[in-house]
Amino acid sequence: MMFRRKLLAVFALTVFLSVAAVAWLVSEVTRRAFARSDDERTAALVTQFRHEFNRQGDEVQRRVEAIAGSEAVSRMTFALSRAPADSGPYFELAKSTAENSQLDFLEFVEGGGTIVSSAQWPAKFGYPEEAFGSFSTAIEQGPFLKQEPLQEGTVLGLFAVRATRVGERPVYVIGGRRLDKNFLSGLDLPAGMRALLYQNRGDHFSADLLIDPSTSSAEKMRSSEKLQPLIDAVRQYGQEMTAVVPWSGNQADDEVFHAIPLLGTDAGKDHPLLAILLIGNSRRTYVELKRHIRSAALLVGGGGIVLAILLSSWAAARVTRPVEQLAQAAQEVAAGNWNARVAVSGRDELAQLADSFNRMTAELLGQKERLVQAERVAAWRELARRLAHELKNPLFPLQLTVENLVRARQQNPEQFEEVFRESSRTLLAEISNLKGIIGRFSEFSKMPQPQLHPMQVNDVIRGVAQLFQAQLEAPGRAKISCELQLHPRLEPVAADAELLHRAITNLVLNAMDAMPQGGTLTLRTRGEDGKVLIEVADTGSGLTTEECERIFTPYYTSKQHGTGLGLAIVQSVVSDHGGRIRVESQPGRGTTFVIELPRG
Amino acid sequence: MKRFGWRRLVASSLLLMALLIKAGAAETRPQYGGTLRIAMREAPASLDPCDATQADSLARRNVLALIFETLVTLDDRGRLHPSLAVDWQFGPGNQRWQFRMRHGVRFHDGTALTAEIAASSLRTANPSWKVFAEGEAVVVELDHSDPDLPAELALTRNSIAKKNGGGKLSGTGPFHIEDWQAGKKLTLGAEENHWRGRAFVDAIEVEMGRNFHEQLNELELGRANLVEVAPQQGHRVAMEGGWVSSSQPMELVALAFSGDPKTANEKSLRSALALSVDRGSMKSVLLQGAGQPTASLLPNWMSGYGFTFSTDADLKRARHEREQVSTAPNWTVGYDANDSVARVLVERVALNAKDAGLVLQPTTAATADLRLVRIPLASADPWIALANLAETLGLAMPKPRGESGEDLYAAELALLAGQRIIPLFDLPEEYASCPVLNDWRPAADGSWRLDEVWMGKDRP
Amino acid sequence: MRHAIQNAFQSLKLSLVLFFFCSVPVGIAAATEWSGPAQQLAQKIVAVTGPGAVAVTVENRSSLWTKNVDAISGELRVDLEALGVRPAKPEQAAASAAVSLSENAQSCVWVAEIHQGAGASAVVMVSVPRGDNAGFAHESMPVSLRKIPLWAQEDRILDVLILEEDSAPRQIAVLDGEKVSIYRLKNGKWELDQRLGITHARPWPRDLRGRVMEAAAKDHLLDVYLPGVFCRSTASLPLTLNCRESDDPWPLVATAAASFPSFGGGPSVQPLGAFYSATRNFFTGALAPGVGKLSTVGKFYSAAALPREKYLLWLFAGTDGQIHLVDGVTDQAAKLGWGSDVASVKTACGSGWQALATGAGENAGNSGADSVRAYEIADRAPVPVSAALDFPGEITALWTEAKGDSAVAVVRNRETGAYEAFRLAAACSQ
Repeated sequence: MMFRRKLLAVFALTVFLSVAAVAWLVSEVTRRAFARSDDERTAALVTQFRHEFNRQGDEVQRRVEAIAGSEAVSRMTFALSRAPADSGPYFELAKSTAENSQLDFLEFVEGGGTIVSSAQWPAKFGYPEEAFGSFSTAIEQGPFLKQEPLQEGTVLGLFAVRATRVGERPVYVIGGRRLDKNFLSGLDLPAGMRALLYQNRGDHFSADLLIDPSTSSAEKMRSSEKLQPLIDAVRQYGQEMTAVVPWSGNQADDEVFHAIPLLGTDAGKDHPLLAILLIGNSRRTYVELKRHIRSAALLVGGGGIVLAILLSSWAAARVTRPVEQLAQAAQEVAAGNWNARVAVSGRDELAQLADSFNRMTAELLGQKERLVQAERVAAWRELARRLAHELKNPLFPLQLTVENLVRARQQNPEQFEEVFRESSRTLLAEISNLKGIIGRFSEFSKMPQPQLHPMQVNDVIRGVAQLFQAQLEAPGRAKISCELQLHPRLEPVAADAELLHRAITNLVLNAMDAMPQGGTLTLRTRGEDGKVLIEVADTGSGLTTEECERIFTPYYTSKQHGTGLGLAIVQSVVSDHGGRIRVESQPGRGTTFVIELPRG
Repeated sequence: MKRFGWRRLVASSLLLMALLIKAGAAETRPQYGGTLRIAMREAPASLDPCDATQADSLARRNVLALIFETLVTLDDRGRLHPSLAVDWQFGPGNQRWQFRMRHGVRFHDGTALTAEIAASSLRTANPSWKVFAEGEAVVVELDHSDPDLPAELALTRNSIAKKNGGGKLSGTGPFHIEDWQAGKKLTLGAEENHWRGRAFVDAIEVEMGRNFHEQLNELELGRANLVEVAPQQGHRVAMEGGWVSSSQPMELVALAFSGDPKTANEKSLRSALALSVDRGSMKSVLLQGAGQPTASLLPNWMSGYGFTFSTDADLKRARHEREQVSTAPNWTVGYDANDSVARVLVERVALNAKDAGLVLQPTTAATADLRLVRIPLASADPWIALANLAETLGLAMPKPRGESGEDLYAAELALLAGQRIIPLFDLPEEYASCPVLNDWRPAADGSWRLDEVWMGKDRP
Repeated sequence: MRHAIQNAFQSLKLSLVLFFFCSVPVGIAAATEWSGPAQQLAQKIVAVTGPGAVAVTVENRSSLWTKNVDAISGELRVDLEALGVRPAKPEQAAASAAVSLSENAQSCVWVAEIHQGAGASAVVMVSVPRGDNAGFAHESMPVSLRKIPLWAQEDRILDVLILEEDSAPRQIAVLDGEKVSIYRLKNGKWELDQRLGITHARPWPRDLRGRVMEAAAKDHLLDVYLPGVFCRSTASLPLTLNCRESDDPWPLVATAAASFPSFGGGPSVQPLGAFYSATRNFFTGALAPGVGKLSTVGKFYSAAALPREKYLLWLFAGTDGQIHLVDGVTDQAAKLGWGSDVASVKTACGSGWQALATGAGENAGNSGADSVRAYEIADRAPVPVSAALDFPGEITALWTEAKGDSAVAVVRNRETGAYEAFRLAAACSQ
């Protein structure tokens, strides 16, 4: 792992842990605070509901009072007080009045307890009102609950009664609102709160008696199942109770239900339980708040981490930049760029290190230049020595021949002609030899630039092997067998076929020279790491380590009559192709030259 | 000669004049022109008088009577009057009737009315009759004696109509069809050359399919001149300043069972139900005094004996009848959901029945054990009205048909004895009109006679 | 209030008609006319009960007058007793017969509900045909000081011409759409002298109007004007009537030779005629020969001439609802709120000629009943000079009589639907 990453990880971890700790702490404290507040809110909501319920009752009472005091009812009361009373014209009064006053129930009941007009059951005029007996007490009380029989069944209502009278005969106005979906929907409740009503009829719990304004019938069945335990408990104990009802696996769907028993005021009975009001308070807000805090903590933590990473990156970058520059410079130096320098800023340890590095590279560069200079001098000396040696060899026979000529002229003029002819041949031969030497040097200096084209190395190898086939098997010399080990699916290389041919030819010539006693010449090709390798191996006497080190130096030769330029030319060709050449040899075990060429 | 105190008179009279003008003076001479706009509940899909698929109603009859005419007409006392036939005679046994056609009557398309056309029209309406033209007369030959044939010919379905090539109907009535949007709106134009003279109004527009409430609204907004009023609302509308007029009771409201009683028990239960119904309170309260409680099929004004059928509830007897049966089924009582008074009537019947120990469940479903029905009486002729009632209710009319009041009574008694029907009320047709409508009076039998009305000027 | 009254009239209409018709036989004939049906009913009752003690009650459920009910009841009891039925109190009787005198649209229906013992009951009945229409026409009308009943009938009366009178009319010609009927008063009863049919090719317009006038020339007795038709009678009884299609103008005032001289000292008056629309109910407005310079006025329903000292003032009740006062030079229109029928009548008061105009009856509520009031046209402003005279229905005709001192008004009775003709006599009340 990079130094900078390590540094970054350490920084980030530190910041993350700190932020996470703070977020958790804040979340926990807030959650507790909200839990407390939620309990208080539920209590407040129940109180608010009671107010609202009472307000609805008061509203019903107010409307009933208004109706009782209305001109239409007064007229009716007056008309009914006369004999004979004709209630016919007032048959629809209750219905129209109820519609105007937005009451679900409205009945006008004359003093004898007979219904004059009924909004909820218009056909019931002239029949006795069943709850008439309790009216006298109900008038003194406020609004009350009553089971109202209707054509289609019994329903629960919130009622109020008022009497209006002309003379001795009162007319009772009994009006109310139906405790149904509409009533519950009409309650002014805070968001997240809802009211359900269970009408307590019959001995057993029945899902049909649950009025739930907010759900469909299918959901109602489900909700009634969940609420049944609470309802049963209230039916049994007749007390207010609270329970949390989980609707699904999701906590946010949970609801806290507060069940309030609603009692009737029927005369002669002990306040029967008419209904149970269920006030549901969704925990969604609370749960969502909790989730919100958590997500806020996560967000802050995540943000902190990102920030930490950014800051750490910046800090690490700032700390590691000189080190990286040093590393970079060192790599450059390693790659041969001796001019690599590190900028020195500040005076800390890293600045001193950079300064030392700069000085070290400067020193190394100086030494290298001196070494190159020494090598150049050595090469020139070697060249001079080789030139001297090469030129000296033909010069000596020239000198002897000329001296023989002179001596023959002087000592034996009659044989001179013969000597002259022989000496001329010798002289021409040696001069020709000198020209050959000069030609080779000239050729080396005129090595052309390669023209690179994609080509198959194996083709070149086969060409060389074919070229030397006759020479290898030529009679009169020791047998050298040639072995080709060519990789069949070798990738092409970009190379100058002619130059490559010449280089390999030189290596084959070298190998043949190294095996005067015969042996095996192996030409091998293979691919490796994106390179194409050409190996020319012989089974000659091999080279010493020192020879191996110097063998590519121009004009170095281990042969009796070599110019030492053959391998120099090979190296030059390989180098011009972007490749390199090395030699592997051990004395007595032959020598292998390996050319590495980059693939096309 | 005594001289008047003219100056004083002038001064004192100015005030009187002003009052007179403000009160509005009659324009006694009928004025021509104007468009009469009518609204009605019925929405007939066809104007073909002999289209038996259309529900019979007084409104439909009256609309058709504007376009088509019959050979004879009945007045509101059930008396025959010549119309397209100027006179008639019958052969022995009331089996062959000859009606001499009026001259100079033309259909709206200009064709002259002939005995052949009239006979053809009557044959279409009555495939079982033998009807043919004989000179200028239409002859009807029956295989049985029918003293009521002329009255039957006064029925709307026996109106003389002519179908031209395109199937378009043409009549001889005081108005011709100008535009007909089936079930929605009918526009009629006055026929200039009607044999009884051109009607006073230029056109009549009939808006169909409007309920009572919409009709009253249209009247109040001045978009209609003549609308129907629910009988139970007639009194109230009049009290609120509406111009309300009504016919004699021409509609029977009754409970009709879907089938004959199959067992003695069922007969007892039906008796119990019939005895439990308290028509008096229904009339005074639910119908607001409109209509006549009845236990007979024909209204008393038509039969003269309707009062002999007691309409009083007898709960004691009802319970007694109920107790003859150990377990009573729960009956469903159907009613028309669009009929507000039907609902409350049925609910009241159910309450009354409950007092007798019967359980009735009101329903608006199409099928029910019994149903509250409203049947318009077909004619002011009692025999025809009774026969039509029997046909409507699916009852077999007793034969042979007699002529006397006692025969009619016996026939009605026989129809009621089947315990298929419990008559409740006879209801009149009530109408509210605007003040500019003059000479508008529905006849006792509910006929409009709109060819006689005329539109006056708006009065303040 | 008007509505309620109209309503009441609507619902009462039929019953009043029935009331009248069921009562007619009693009014015109002896109670013995009931004897036949009563006897039949008695026989039917006895057929059920047999002779013996029967409690008989009689209840009137129809529009019969009480005295008739008593008469019928008496007749029935006599008949029952004759058949061996002994009247008894209910508790002593073996059977009870509750007789109801009912009615239906066509006839009186007398029904007896007979109860014998427990549960056994029977219903018997007889129908009594109603009196004929003719009975109605002979009913004398209530007497008014100002309106004198002349004639009443079911068919629409267009005009009545008094042919002969002394203190009261003795011979009259009654015009309706199909005939001229000539009646003569004999022994206190009107009897038909002659019926002269009117032939016409074209259908009459609705709201048919017509005039029957004494011919100005001596060569014939009656001129009859109807829309598009003119008829002329022969000179003496028995008359015949010849009708022809004609668009001749109708005389707007009866120009009997004896009448207009009584305009008294004024300028000589040219008789004025006006063309009547053959298919409508109004005059076209074209005048012959014209009033002064004006030969046409707007369409009008009726006209009345008011002779002035130097000119003749014409009132035209236009179809536009206005009254046009035309003096030959100017045509002055005024919205007076009058009805569409005007006439003029000569009196000894005021300017000597007053206009009669129809209007809504003051006490008629919403029934549509009309009234007639006299107006003096002073300074072109009408001044009512009489109380409104109410009529029992709408006025369908109002024509000045030939002598000019009275007018004939025809009313359609709202209750009975019959047409009633009155003579309107104007007399100075001061």
